[in-house]
Amino acid sequence: MGVTVLQPYPLPEGKSGAHIIDQLGKRLLALGATHSGQFLVDCETFISTPQPHNGAPGRAVHVLHNSEYPASTFSIIDNGTGKQVSLVADNIFDLLMLKMTNTFTSKKQTKIESRGARFEYGDFVIKLGSVTMMEHFKGILIEIEYKSCVILAYCWEMIREVLQGFLGIGVAKEFPSYFATQTIMTAMGQQQLHAKHNDIYEPMDTVKQYLEQFTNYRKHVALHGGMVSGGGQGGPTVGQPGVHIPPSSMVGMGRP
Amino acid sequence: MDKLNSTLTAVKNLRSNVKQCFEHLADGTDGEGGEESRNKFVHDFQERFGAINSQLREVEQLINGLQVPPTAYSLGNTAYLAQETSQDRQALYPQLVNSYKWIDKVHDHSFLAFNNLNQNTLRRSYNYCSQKRQRLPFSSFNNDPDHIDKLLSEINTAPHTSYRIFRPFGTNAVAIVTISNVMKAAIVFKGVLIEWVTVKGFDEPLEHDDLWAESRYEVFRKVQEHAHSAMLHFFSPTLPDLAVKSYVTWLNSHIKLFLEPCKRCGKFVANGLPPTWRDLRTLEPFHEECRNC
Repeated sequence: MGVTVLQPYPLPEGKSGAHIIDQLGKRLLALGATHSGQFLVDCETFISTPQPHNGAPGRAVHVLHNSEYPASTFSIIDNGTGKQVSLVADNIFDLLMLKMTNTFTSKKQTKIESRGARFEYGDFVIKLGSVTMMEHFKGILIEIEYKSCVILAYCWEMIREVLQGFLGIGVAKEFPSYFATQTIMTAMGQQQLHAKHNDIYEPMDTVKQYLEQFTNYRKHVALHGGMVSGGGQGGPTVGQPGVHIPPSSMVGMGRP
Repeated sequence: MDKLNSTLTAVKNLRSNVKQCFEHLADGTDGEGGEESRNKFVHDFQERFGAINSQLREVEQLINGLQVPPTAYSLGNTAYLAQETSQDRQALYPQLVNSYKWIDKVHDHSFLAFNNLNQNTLRRSYNYCSQKRQRLPFSSFNNDPDHIDKLLSEINTAPHTSYRIFRPFGTNAVAIVTISNVMKAAIVFKGVLIEWVTVKGFDEPLEHDDLWAESRYEVFRKVQEHAHSAMLHFFSPTLPDLAVKSYVTWLNSHIKLFLEPCKRCGKFVANGLPPTWRDLRTLEPFHEECRNC
């Protein structure tokens, strides 16, 4: 287990996702990396029912699986105000969620996953994932892990160099947004600056990064979906926006 | 089976009779006796010849009475006797010559290796001393635990680095060094002399019962290789305390293992590895490939 950084890859105009991934895979192999199987990260979101009527955002439970940790189910409870509670459980947690349909209902249409090839290069593990939601291609997520280091601040420059090396695009010198310095409340109720890049890395951090990216993709869909259906595709689809994520739950899933 | 046996016995009898008959012929007469002895000789011969004839008939009869066996007889190892035994066909000779050559070579090489290893100064703890040059034993062998404790407490000064010392092998100490959140190293002492170093990642277990397993990460396996060569470099029989101190200082320079780019090429990653080599004098980081060019 080591530091993992998730990097969305901007899709150039007029190029298909499969083509880009193919190209990146070839570049990695030319660099000396070896192909080592496939990977899959999926995320399903459950929304609390019934929804609160006072306009407060509903609570959401995100359940994620990561093929790197096949025996675990990760879940993150989001109370809608930005506070997140995370939990790592055995796979049987999925069955527990099925029992809780009275209070939490699954939003099937937001099931999102990233899957693709896994490469190894020295102690680096590089995953080229294509993100799909409801079988629709959404974008490319590059995951890069440096297994032998547990603190991002130590090895960020190394990771950045490797990323730039095979992506062919510049990567900002600053730490990724997930690791940026945040203000947190201590147990004593004081506000304190917390440098996340100096923390010892945990598998949960990988999962949280995926959730952050997945949420961005969903938001993107919600915005564009609304525009398309409002943009005059005709009668039947006008009523459709409701099928997409309702605004209230949208706020619950994203960070405020 | 019985028939076969009696046939074989009959053949044997026939052969011995024939042999006796020929021996008798070869002996001949004594040459001095007159007609009588010559007649006796001829008569004897005729008798023996008649016996041979009758036995030959008997053998023929027995052979005719033999039946073809329904299955092949299992003859065990004797079956191999019928196989080709000619030396040329079995090609034993070239193999014998080859193995002889090899044994000769092994003998030569081991003799040279033995001589070389005896001259090697890197064999440190069990020094082979010839009788001519009897030296005083090195002070590095002194096994005084108090002295080692004092030495290790003196080097226990660098911040971010913690030392845990225990003695699983009697008086010899093992120090587990944790360098910041980067890596762990187990230094096995013999007296004041460093015998072995194991380097592992920060998240890998390194306990006293698991001192010899290699790290699962390529970078720390490489660092361990370099740590071993540095261990030999810093070895000093006359100033063992200084050797340990400079070695630990060198080891501590790995605190920036992932943070510093290579001094020569200015890059962080080469061949998937950070600069794993630290210069022995200046402690500057280099890639393994860059350090010699």
